[in-house]
Amino acid sequence: MITLSSYLMISLALFLSGLVVMISRKNIIAILLGIELILNAAALNFVAYTRFVNDNIEGHIMSLFIIVIAAAEAAVGLGIVIRFFQMRESIHIDDAAQLQS
Amino acid sequence: MFDNILFILSASLTVVGAFSVVLTKNLMHSCVYLLAALFGTAGLYATLGADFLAATQLVVYVGGVVILMLFAVMLTGGDQDKENKFGITKVPSMGNFKTFLAGGVSALVIALVVLRLIANVAKQNPQGELPEFTSSVVAIGTKLVTDHVLAFEISSVLLLGALVGAAVIARPAKRGE
Repeated sequence: MITLSSYLMISLALFLSGLVVMISRKNIIAILLGIELILNAAALNFVAYTRFVNDNIEGHIMSLFIIVIAAAEAAVGLGIVIRFFQMRESIHIDDAAQLQS
Repeated sequence: MFDNILFILSASLTVVGAFSVVLTKNLMHSCVYLLAALFGTAGLYATLGADFLAATQLVVYVGGVVILMLFAVMLTGGDQDKENKFGITKVPSMGNFKTFLAGGVSALVIALVVLRLIANVAKQNPQGELPEFTSSVVAIGTKLVTDHVLAFEISSVLLLGALVGAAVIARPAKRGE
């Protein structure tokens, strides 16, 4: 039986994977992968709630905007990564320490 | 029946893909597993009756973002066996035991908190029967240009700014800088 809780559990699994990826990786591109997973978890929650609690499509609109913003974020983030690689020959997150004294 | 099968397939694809993104040590494999997870999420959208959203997920994420990620991985491949100046990890640097311990502990804490919340939801157990399949495209289009027209326009400006910004940031360095 498919209930709201099953979707929430899947969304929790996506979110936790994204969180572990974001915390444990030292590679900037891998951290961006984690951010994508977390944004997907949020969008899935919106759609599941709008389906099970009030059957309108406001959650679809919200998820659509989440997808748009994730695409924009990925474009800018990868631009920054490529520029950083040109400057430092590295994509290790600990190399981005210029503002640290 | 068909919905159950689609749900189980999509859910296992999503969860296995997401966990594989965590567990693999290869950045390229990680991107491909992310593709599997996003594909499964599109299937979950389909089981929820969100057909337009499933199509958008496939087009934007699977066709756009993951390809962009793969290009970034290839452009920043670096030297596989060059030690960086911290000496511990190689250039791909997919984390070590200590960072995974930190990530696992924080994930455990958040999992406990969220499971407590989900238990409340499961107690009320809201469930509706799946309505007859109707395309949600017309309704979404109407909503976008009536109720949410401001957010729609702002997101177009955001996309323009993001793309111009990405092009400006990623352009090659001028000589003498």
